[in-house]
Amino acid sequence: MTDNKVYYTVETGDNLICQKCGIPLVKTEAVFEYLNNSFPVELPACPKCGFVYVPEDLALGKVLSVEKVLEDK
Amino acid sequence: MDHFKERSTRDYFQKKLYTMEELFKRENRCIYEEPAFCHAACPLGLDAKKLAFFIEKGAFSDARAMLEHITPFPMILAYGCDAPCEKACRMNEVGEGINIRGLERAAMYHGSPKGGKGLFKFKKKQKAAVFGSDLFSLFLAGELARKSYPTSFYVNQKDAISLLKDCAPFLLKDDLVNEAKRLENMDIKILYSSNLTKEFFESEKDNFDIIATSRSFLDMCFPNDIPNKETLLAPISNILSSQDSNPSVLQSIFDARRAGVSVDRISQGLDPASSRGEEGSRESRLYTNMNEAIPSNQIYEPENGYITKEAIEEASRCIQCKCEECIKHCVFLQDTGKYPKKLTREIFNNVDIIMGDHMMNKTINSCSLCGQCTVTCPNGYDMAEICLDARENMVSTTKMALAYHEFALLDMLFSNNEAFLSKPQVGYEKCKYVFFPGCQAGAIAPDAVFKAYVDLSKRLDGGVGLINGCCGAIAKWAGRTAIYEECEEQLKNEINKLGNPLIIAACPTCKKTLEEMLKIEVKGIWDVLNEIGLPKGALEYDRPLIMHDSCSARGDSDMQASIRKLTNSLGCTLKDVPYNGDMSECCGYGGLVSYVNKELASKMAQSCTKDEDVPFISYCMACRDRFAREKRESMHVLELVYAAPAGNPPDISKKRKNRLSLKRKLLEEIWKEEVIVINPEYKIVISEDVAKILDERMILEEDVYSVIEAYHEDGSAVYDEIDGTLTSSLRKGNVTFWLKFKKDEPDVYIILGAYSHRMKVRVRYE
Repeated sequence: MTDNKVYYTVETGDNLICQKCGIPLVKTEAVFEYLNNSFPVELPACPKCGFVYVPEDLALGKVLSVEKVLEDK
Repeated sequence: MDHFKERSTRDYFQKKLYTMEELFKRENRCIYEEPAFCHAACPLGLDAKKLAFFIEKGAFSDARAMLEHITPFPMILAYGCDAPCEKACRMNEVGEGINIRGLERAAMYHGSPKGGKGLFKFKKKQKAAVFGSDLFSLFLAGELARKSYPTSFYVNQKDAISLLKDCAPFLLKDDLVNEAKRLENMDIKILYSSNLTKEFFESEKDNFDIIATSRSFLDMCFPNDIPNKETLLAPISNILSSQDSNPSVLQSIFDARRAGVSVDRISQGLDPASSRGEEGSRESRLYTNMNEAIPSNQIYEPENGYITKEAIEEASRCIQCKCEECIKHCVFLQDTGKYPKKLTREIFNNVDIIMGDHMMNKTINSCSLCGQCTVTCPNGYDMAEICLDARENMVSTTKMALAYHEFALLDMLFSNNEAFLSKPQVGYEKCKYVFFPGCQAGAIAPDAVFKAYVDLSKRLDGGVGLINGCCGAIAKWAGRTAIYEECEEQLKNEINKLGNPLIIAACPTCKKTLEEMLKIEVKGIWDVLNEIGLPKGALEYDRPLIMHDSCSARGDSDMQASIRKLTNSLGCTLKDVPYNGDMSECCGYGGLVSYVNKELASKMAQSCTKDEDVPFISYCMACRDRFAREKRESMHVLELVYAAPAGNPPDISKKRKNRLSLKRKLLEEIWKEEVIVINPEYKIVISEDVAKILDERMILEEDVYSVIEAYHEDGSAVYDEIDGTLTSSLRKGNVTFWLKFKKDEPDVYIILGAYSHRMKVRVRYE
């Protein structure tokens, strides 16, 4: 894994607000980890508390398909 | 929770599934690849089944190419062969066998010769000579030319037509001309009108490396030199000739083929007798189920052969002998598109791979382990054992992803922890019996379980204890031996505490699993009910029903008979269907298929219930549930016995709630124990549509409560300003659950959607 590489980016609209901190989520460098593999991505997250938001279409789409590939590695 | 530690793709463990010897032994039981009987009977190896297949499809040229590949003079074969293939044809058993020679002739008449010049071949260095004309020498000359030996053919006839006429007098005129043309087009130097004397032979022979002769010419030159039976090589003269002095047409052609092999061996400086490969006809181990063959007679073949329509009609009588007994009624094998031998090898290879993609993992986990193949296969092929061995192997080498079976395993642990109950009958410390209803009975028909326990404890003497939990089948099916062993220890302890009573199981899988696990006899509740009679209030059922036998009752004729006796006493009329009893198909629950491959599990349940509009009765709660989920009317026999219809099939959350409610009801009403239930401070509203999504996505209501609980305490969520919804998440075990909801009143949460993923997510550089 190279630190600069980003596998997936979710654009953050300005409609998402962190309920706890009351501030908008911003596009943040995040990482998915599974079965000792990790993938750098950019996801909406709260800049204060670090709550990372994984939208439904990402979870049931790309994330699920990568999970399945890794499970059979 | 050590059992639920995720694997790493960077662990490189490997353990052979079987030794090669064991693998071959297993593979050898599958006869799918065996040749058809006609094919095996032909010493030349002509696949008559394939020939008929081509002709049935109207592909006469493909059929012709097969014949031209097998022999240099196909028309001589088609007319002169004594056709052991036709004698071996299985259609002879139900009518007339296929007219294979007629089909060969039709292929030659109606098929076009293969176009193109073919591959450029270098001529071989060794020169060959064939002296004298008989069928053997003619065919051998043809074979040698095809093998690219510069071949000289010395014959006393004046032209090709006379030569063919002498060798194959049975050919029709047109065919004679055609085969003569074929001979002339071959790369053979034919020396017509040769004076075939011994002196001539002596003067010519030194110009050649390989010499073959007709048998009569050999007898003339070397009267006592008899060719070897296998190599066709005469030991004194080193001449190749036919072994029999008056061979049949087929024998001559076969001898020429074998002499050709000897020529290859000799020209390479090798022993002509060794490493010749498989030659001649053989016995086929193929099994063909003739029950489905429609008896018919041959289509009449006119003297000048079939027209295309007639040939196609004759070829379509061929039943294309093959053994697919296991595949016919196994949805799993049909889905893989593979026969057991091939599937076994692919599973073996899959287990063998250390790094890279394991393409067969899902397949290995999609077998219902029901054992139907072992019964339908004429050789008892056990695909279930192979899939289970592979699962255990993969678990032991950390190749098995938890994702496949985690939900089912956690459900099993739920049955044996939160929902587990083990008690002696009130008033007893030790019991003579213990009722073991099984986890699915409590999950699907809790009322029937409750009533059954009350009934048994009233009507049986000596005390009836209760153990309500999982028998361990789920861990076994998942290949998780460590969890299975823990279950074994737990159950042994509980049974011991109850004074080692006789177990009365209400589930065939529990009965089978407990018998294997505890090495004791386990009785089915159906046997007990047959002995003590039906309880008062049992429902009589006067509509016809189909009995669906459980896969765990396969091979257990006593259990199958006992159930029928019970349903008979309930007044049920059972409709006879071909695939029940030992041949019964799996409902899709077995082997945890419904957790791994939902679509396939649905197909399995549909296959069990196809073409039947009669309700199903079963003695396995999982079968009852799987059919009901496919919208087929089905019931468990205990629902009738105890007048406790279970209604619509419960979703995954309701199955858990049912088990907990049953435990609570049993404790409160029978053992008079107070059960404290703590209700949360908030209310959660789940609509029917959302409940459906939760069921499909295997998200439990319990998980929903966990996410809300966490939000309730911490307040972490994303607020969407556009639709005013909140989305919160919680990592629970190996899964992150996400919940979309709205807060209606201060403590009321309306759930709008849910999803989950197994990957962990975090901010980088935190």
